[in-house]
Amino acid sequence: MSDFWQHILGFNAESPLLFTQFYFWAFFALVYALFALLMSVGKTTNSKLHLRNVYLMFVSWFFYYKTSGLFLLILAFVTLSDWFIAQRIRAKIERKWAPRLWLTLSVVIDLSILFYFKYAYFFTNVINDWFGADFRVFDIFAYIGNGFSEAGRFDVDTIILPVGISFYTFQVISYTCDVFRRKIEPVKNILDFGFYVSFFPQLVAGPIVRAEEFIPQLYKPFRLSRRAFGIAVFWILNGLAKKIIMSDYLAVNLIDRVFDNPLLFSGFENLFALFAYSLQVYADFSGYTDIAIGVAMLMGFYLPMNFNSPYKSKNPQEFWRRWHMSLGRWLKSYLYIPLGGNRTILGFKAPKLWAANFNSFITQVLGGLWHGASWNFVLWGAINGVGMIVEKIWREWNWHVRFAAISALTFGLVLLDYFYNLPVWRLFAVWAAIIWFGTAIRYIYWLITADKIINHKFEILNNKIANAWAILQTFAFITFTRLFFRSSSNLDPATANEVAWATAKNMVNQIGGAWSNAIIPDFLWEYRWVVAMFIAGMVIHWIPTNFKRRYRLWFSAMPLWLMVIVVCLAIVVIYQFVSAEMQPFIYFQF
Amino acid sequence: MVSLAALCVVLPERFAFGEKELRWPTLAEVIGTEEAYPRPLPEEEGSITSPDTIAPSPDTLPSLRGRTEERLIIPKITVDSATDSRLFLRAFYASLADAGTKKIRVVHYGDSQIEEDRMTQQIRETLQAAYGGSGVGLVPLAQTIPSLTVRQELFLSGRFVSPQNGPKRYLVYGPKRDQRTDGLYGPMGQMAYMSDSLVKGSETVKAICQPLQPNMHYDRFRLFADTSVHYTTSRDTMFLSGRGGVYGLSQESKTGIIVDNIPMRGCMGIVFTKMDSTQLSTFYSEENVRLIIMQFGGNAIPSNKNPGTIQAIVKGLRQQVQYLRRCAPEASILFIGPSDMLTQIDGEWTTYPMVPYMDKLLRKMALEENIAYFSLYRWMGGSGSMMKWQEVGLAGSDGVHFTRAGARKAGKAVAEWMMEGNE
Repeated sequence: MSDFWQHILGFNAESPLLFTQFYFWAFFALVYALFALLMSVGKTTNSKLHLRNVYLMFVSWFFYYKTSGLFLLILAFVTLSDWFIAQRIRAKIERKWAPRLWLTLSVVIDLSILFYFKYAYFFTNVINDWFGADFRVFDIFAYIGNGFSEAGRFDVDTIILPVGISFYTFQVISYTCDVFRRKIEPVKNILDFGFYVSFFPQLVAGPIVRAEEFIPQLYKPFRLSRRAFGIAVFWILNGLAKKIIMSDYLAVNLIDRVFDNPLLFSGFENLFALFAYSLQVYADFSGYTDIAIGVAMLMGFYLPMNFNSPYKSKNPQEFWRRWHMSLGRWLKSYLYIPLGGNRTILGFKAPKLWAANFNSFITQVLGGLWHGASWNFVLWGAINGVGMIVEKIWREWNWHVRFAAISALTFGLVLLDYFYNLPVWRLFAVWAAIIWFGTAIRYIYWLITADKIINHKFEILNNKIANAWAILQTFAFITFTRLFFRSSSNLDPATANEVAWATAKNMVNQIGGAWSNAIIPDFLWEYRWVVAMFIAGMVIHWIPTNFKRRYRLWFSAMPLWLMVIVVCLAIVVIYQFVSAEMQPFIYFQF
Repeated sequence: MVSLAALCVVLPERFAFGEKELRWPTLAEVIGTEEAYPRPLPEEEGSITSPDTIAPSPDTLPSLRGRTEERLIIPKITVDSATDSRLFLRAFYASLADAGTKKIRVVHYGDSQIEEDRMTQQIRETLQAAYGGSGVGLVPLAQTIPSLTVRQELFLSGRFVSPQNGPKRYLVYGPKRDQRTDGLYGPMGQMAYMSDSLVKGSETVKAICQPLQPNMHYDRFRLFADTSVHYTTSRDTMFLSGRGGVYGLSQESKTGIIVDNIPMRGCMGIVFTKMDSTQLSTFYSEENVRLIIMQFGGNAIPSNKNPGTIQAIVKGLRQQVQYLRRCAPEASILFIGPSDMLTQIDGEWTTYPMVPYMDKLLRKMALEENIAYFSLYRWMGGSGSMMKWQEVGLAGSDGVHFTRAGARKAGKAVAEWMMEGNE
């Protein structure tokens, strides 16, 4: 019996609480039943709202304990420290510099915690590499936990990354900053504040809820309309389908095996897997946040939209406005603007374009490092930054310059490919040639139609084609950056970096050097379910937003009995993918 | 939730939908009191000693969710697990006494687990450290899979060419379009053909073969090719001219142990009988091949769920062993069986049910054929061990392939096991 309770209530590192597990839904059903009871009894008063917040905070703490064990203490610590500091920031004192000092202290504490747990290995590795040192990480908290001893319950040689730390530290930073900027009032009750920091649907994987977006909701009474209920259920189902059908199925049956061993697969298979990985990353992350949004909505809380069909973006800048929007907004408010925005570079006044490009590049690089503590993520951020800047410059050019630039680039790459015949040049040459082709057509069109009155319908059609082309090019670019996005280890950045680099190199070598047209029909046939899932995923992704909104509303307005049937059917279908047999290995390339 | 729970009670675990079979979990499975799919039977360690033919009495894997009509019938086999199969390496061990004065060749054939010279390099290092010898051994003219031990590049008329744009390759384990009808693949099971369309007039093909590991220095840089192909060498570069088949390049020492890494991607190992026996015999005898390592079986697992098919595959492998023995009567043979391999069944990662069965069948076959057998599967820890390997970064997320670190560990284990047999 004690095993049973240990299973239900205890922490098990190998079995964290995930939205895709039955345990989570049983947990949520229980939590929601009590929540509904609480909300339905008596009138809505402040003390009842407070009770709701306290109840959800302790539920969230239990959720975090099940996911991360004693790391709950870190969550408790940042809650306490930032609650206290926020009070001090707005305390009536004479010294003008005091609020800024308190804010600095808050940011230093939060970032120190993040750096300690997330970047200790990375910076140790950097110092060792640069200065030839041989430092090792030492977990001071484990040492203290062992009663100031290296031996004991906790391993002092390993620093484990607590789940969700990147998200909730950013969230508390946003709180103290918003209090400092007087966008919100400090939360008086620490338990209310604890609820904001730890609200379980978004605790481990976002969205990063900024204080000014969420704190006001703490004091609003619970309200869930019939339509909101339907929409919440829709988001949950949508998220589960994305995560299990699009993400996990594609990963297990193709993507993981290709990324693990790119050399086992032909160039076409590698390229297909890379594009599929783009879809997988989106489906995985956005699926998770869809569920978070739906679960929160059922409890009457509104989390911000986190993904807005990012692969519909027509340029990299737009992509970053549609992808992981809560992080993008956070970085803009609390990093890009403090860095100088489009006004200053390192504190010095600079031309708008220069300042904007410089600061957005730094933001992208640091944003890259936020995603993972190894150089490949820095490189990933840098490539995104460069892509964004290049595209912005491209937009400033007229068609003569654009065509000349892309022609020169393509010619140069073709020459490099001819003389050096390396896969990487072949890949870039083909890619440049494709862009050149699109540019040439638009250039010719521009030459023909410049200063002429064009039939309106024809112009609309032309714009649609141009948009589709831009979307495909942006998708291709973002997919290319994904080469550096996959990492194998959080503990050892050297290994993570080596693996990521070797994977990227091998994939480029295969795509540019071992293309093998002959196997394409065989691959498409043998992997037909995987291919069908990918195509279906992309088609659904590219469905117009209005249409999606319409079927979401249609679903939410269904009679309850019909909704139950649809939900059950959807779960049965999703379960087929959970339990589907694996696609066997087929080596097309020999 | 209530409706879904009701479905668990109402719906059968498997039900037909058109031609498809759909699945739905039981309530016990959902709340975690029943394993979604039971693990295969535990190993039968040490209790069975009499090698015999496959016994007719059926053993069963635990049922698929306990339903008798879905039982997977695995024939019970008796395997002699007491005999140390290294006794069949005696001839090889005896030959090592001459390593100081002669060259002794070990040929390691295998599937994708040994690509990039993985595993083989650990065997090579260990044997060469003990008995001398150096060099990477045989490599193909056009190396399509980068190796960890040697960097290869090919130049035509001074221009770098990727292996795919180089000479036409024929592979005994490749698709039909890449196969030959005359069986002349050479000892590596692959041949690159220098044709008129590839080399014009008296142009040469320049092949760079640069060692990347400390034990890769060599005394001789040799070519195995048709007599119509000529070559000269300069340091790590070989210049080839003429027309004809190239079976491999070899960097090797004059004496000591030479170990050839010959990966055959996607291959189940039933290909040797398609290779010309005269060519093989000549190579094995002239090159003093005293040990042939065959590492196959893994590729048979994912697509064969029927014990009968596995039996047929092992029968095919037995024929390959017999064929290689006829081609190389002086050589000992070591068979390395498949590792633990994972698949998802009803959403749970688990060992392919056929892995332990195939492992036993292979060991039985090996003992009957008087060849040594190393069970990677058992050495790893048996059923589910691949998951532990994944957790510590020794195996990839596909649950089939080792990472480089995993391959190093496995190669070292095989090498040490061989060395211990000679003590």
